[in-house]
Amino acid sequence: MLKEFTCIVCPNGCDVTAEFEGTEIRRIEGAACARGEEYVRQELTAPRRTIASSVAVLGGTLPLASVRTTAAIPKDKIFRVMEEVKKVTLQAPVFSGQVVIRDVLSLGSDIVATKNVPECEK
Amino acid sequence: MRLDSKKEVCGLKERYDVAVIGGGVVGSAIARELSRYRLDIVVLEKNLDVCYETSGRNSGVVHGGFAYDTGTLKAKLCVEGNREFDRLAQELDIPFKRCGKVLVGNTREDMETLERTMEQGAKNGAAGLSLIDEEELHRLVPAVVGKFAMLSENSGIVDPFIYTIALAENAAENGAEYLFDHEVTAIRREADEYCITAGTDEIRTRWVVNSAGLGCGKISDMLGITGYQIIGSKGDYIILDQRTGAMLPMPVYPVPSNTYMGIHVTNTTDGNVIIGPNADMVTDFTDYSVSQKNMDYLAESASDLWPCIRKADYIRNYSGILPKWVDENGVIQDFRIEMREEIAPRAINLVGIESPGLTAAVPIGRMVASMLAGREHPEKNQEFNPKRKGIRRFSLMTEEEQREAIEKNPDYGQLICRCEKVSKAEILQAIHNPLGVSTVVGVKYRTRSMMGRCQGGYCQMRITQMIEQELGQQPEEICYNRQGAYMFTGKVR
Amino acid sequence: METFDRTREVEGIREIEETDEIEKMQEIDVLVVGGGPAGLAAAVKLYEKGITSVLIVEREKTMGGILRQCIHDGFGLTRFKETLSGPEYAQRFIDAVEELHIPYITNAAVTEITEDKVVTVVTRGGIRKWRARAVILTMGCRERTRGVLGIPGERPTGVFTAGVAQAYINLYNRMPGKEVVILGSGDIGMIMARRMTLEGAHVQAVFEILPIPSGLPRNIQQCLNDYDIPLYLSHTVTEITGKSRLESVTVSEVDESLKPIPGTEKVYPCDTLILSVGLIPENELSLDASVVLDGRTKGAVVDENFQTSQEGIFAAGNVLHVHDLVDFVSMEAEKLAEGAARYVCDGKLQACRIPVTADENINHTIPQKVSGTQDVKLAMRVRKQFKDVTIVVRQNGETIASRKMKKAIPAEMIQIPVKAERMKRDGALEVCVEC
Repeated sequence: MLKEFTCIVCPNGCDVTAEFEGTEIRRIEGAACARGEEYVRQELTAPRRTIASSVAVLGGTLPLASVRTTAAIPKDKIFRVMEEVKKVTLQAPVFSGQVVIRDVLSLGSDIVATKNVPECEK
Repeated sequence: MRLDSKKEVCGLKERYDVAVIGGGVVGSAIARELSRYRLDIVVLEKNLDVCYETSGRNSGVVHGGFAYDTGTLKAKLCVEGNREFDRLAQELDIPFKRCGKVLVGNTREDMETLERTMEQGAKNGAAGLSLIDEEELHRLVPAVVGKFAMLSENSGIVDPFIYTIALAENAAENGAEYLFDHEVTAIRREADEYCITAGTDEIRTRWVVNSAGLGCGKISDMLGITGYQIIGSKGDYIILDQRTGAMLPMPVYPVPSNTYMGIHVTNTTDGNVIIGPNADMVTDFTDYSVSQKNMDYLAESASDLWPCIRKADYIRNYSGILPKWVDENGVIQDFRIEMREEIAPRAINLVGIESPGLTAAVPIGRMVASMLAGREHPEKNQEFNPKRKGIRRFSLMTEEEQREAIEKNPDYGQLICRCEKVSKAEILQAIHNPLGVSTVVGVKYRTRSMMGRCQGGYCQMRITQMIEQELGQQPEEICYNRQGAYMFTGKVR
Repeated sequence: METFDRTREVEGIREIEETDEIEKMQEIDVLVVGGGPAGLAAAVKLYEKGITSVLIVEREKTMGGILRQCIHDGFGLTRFKETLSGPEYAQRFIDAVEELHIPYITNAAVTEITEDKVVTVVTRGGIRKWRARAVILTMGCRERTRGVLGIPGERPTGVFTAGVAQAYINLYNRMPGKEVVILGSGDIGMIMARRMTLEGAHVQAVFEILPIPSGLPRNIQQCLNDYDIPLYLSHTVTEITGKSRLESVTVSEVDESLKPIPGTEKVYPCDTLILSVGLIPENELSLDASVVLDGRTKGAVVDENFQTSQEGIFAAGNVLHVHDLVDFVSMEAEKLAEGAARYVCDGKLQACRIPVTADENINHTIPQKVSGTQDVKLAMRVRKQFKDVTIVVRQNGETIASRKMKKAIPAEMIQIPVKAERMKRDGALEVCVEC
């Protein structure tokens, strides 16, 4: 079977074609680098994605701190992870890189803050 | 004499002397003229601010008065309004430029029409009219296309939003009460007073003034003065970027027909250019949609007069509807300003107040006030102050003034709207405006924020945040312009 | 009263002490207008080149520009060889600015730049003026609005440009709506489709008037396909309905000349319309300084040093031409800084008299002029989609550089390096697409 992919690893967005039979991959063509092949392999077996969102911050100069996953999570768990992200409220100050949820849902990825939110002066 | 003694009930007076229905430019001018007397005045406005309808949706031109049949109220009140506009602009602290305007012609017929227009203008008392040749026309407006023109030196331009707001604020400062979100749905006469259902309130008043603009027919019917046929003349406009203003020092009109001024290009007091309007007859007075067909038509027609229109300069489009009183043959009639004692005592009924209503608003207000005063002889309001101070605009100050303003109030040094250079100080004053208007557009009309080329892309979020903070509103409560125009469905977290 | 805003809550930046240093600085070597990814990168590179009389002027209370609200990842792969979110990417440069003690002021609006490089800045502390030897324009871009498009219909609330919606959701904690239609397949629009979906909104579809997407293929995959959001090409919104809040949009198919085809109208009930219909370089200040703009890019005409038509005024990043990736914005600004540093040291730069021209398949090139004496990287965009093409740079009929591409799409900025030794001192560089 042939399937077309758009690689999402980098902005090149290579068009990659994979030939496979069941779970056995016969041929991958079109990726400019090895990461593209790896992406397609994963896409055919267990697709994973990174996500970015925000968590609430109390007492900060901003009401939100942006967060992201540190590793890709299974695609079908995205909305479950979002539920966990929505539960979090941090107290300012928040620092970029600060772990917000460790190993979210035991999926092998942390949720980390990607923005500094200093304390509000008031 | 004070007409009655009243008690305050839940913020509303038990009985008012006058209820003015409709807080547009005419209603607000009436309220202001009435506030020269010791009267308890209430203005009932169905929208959440003044000038949401016809008063804010027009060309912003102060007309000379030459275009109307001699002897009509339109001609008389327009000429009167034009004459006093400099004083008015000074009293009310509003942007007004007596920049003149030209009616541009090419053919023999055009010339005849212009000569007739000149004659009519002279009879109407409109001064400063002259015919000019192509050379003079191009000296005045280099970019215009035409062989000759009639110049009306006394025509001008005004910011219709600020003008209406200024009249309303000055009326309010002199004691008139503004009730927004108070659409009049019923009027009942009881003994010597009227009981008006407005919004969820019942308003008792001795006098009623119908200045409801597009709603004048409905209110007239409620008063029992039936039979007026009102049709809407809807016109669409396109607004161009401020960079185009340099190419248009005054409004340029085609030679008018009997009933229609034609698609024209107008400079604004802020240096934009507006193109329009077409004139479609409509019966739905709430539909302000603009069609693609009309936008294309406007640009095409106006390009014949002024070939500087590029789509890249479009920043917005809008439409307005003029309420026209027509007879059974569909012929457009004069303004009607009447008292019909036998049907509705102590009611002043204004019908078909369309263009030149912006120019004529104050004379109309005076006329209404003198009709009432002629009957009631109210005491003068000794404290009446005709002066109103507007929000000082950072962008219009000299650099020295800017420095002083920032030193006195650092908020003047924090620019919120970059396109129009509007400072935080101005936004705060607009949020805490004397009329108590709390919409986003209320801030826009009062400061010109969000009116520039990015259309609020940069400043709208800062302004909504300031409204929330200053007025203690929840995100869901932030209202853009009218009832139901919410901005947000809530918080993200 | 303070001269500059002390409460600059620069995200992650410790406060710089209020600064007599800035106070006295009336004459300055370089003033950078805008502290986004271009301005920050330019300032850091200038410092590295030994130009330390630099001031960054930023109108927001914190630096970072648009990246502050671009919380998704995928930034930095080219510049930093790792994937970062927008705020993290910006922080790299902000940290560098901090470490080098490069002066900056925030909450400061540049209101005028004159031809002789006097820059007027308005702050809560007052109005200040600097005479700079070089001015670097890095003001970024703004979004095209409904008004520019002239979408017909009523004017309800609920119509947002993608960047405004993004700011509301990611910075202001405000949800603009729940039932969403997106017009335009620009990258920000697609990113907002995903973002709003993650936050519980229902995104019905993305409509694009052109027959090809205007955003990157990877965003179609990870922002639309992943969430089953359909993308309809050759469709546009032809009517907006709602007197108060948006109630529905009418969508029509368009023909080859992009005119709506009567009879194809379909109504989509929704409370939110997101517009992702293009960006316009923000050049109002440049025009005040009489900088000549290119009608195709809406940004300045520049030479290989990113110097504009006004000597000593430079421009890079999205104020020059809209980029696809922030990495290229920063790298372009760094390249600019090298030229600007030389200009400050030597008082002038080599004349660039060789024009760069392009055939009808190329929308524009940056720079528009080169000297022929130093290596340059020509940036360009194609006008339509190509497969298996070579982009060729010729001079006097001779091919001096080329790049083979499996596909070339308008969404992507293409860069072609040209070596100095391949260029003659006269004869235009002609860029063309060979199929």
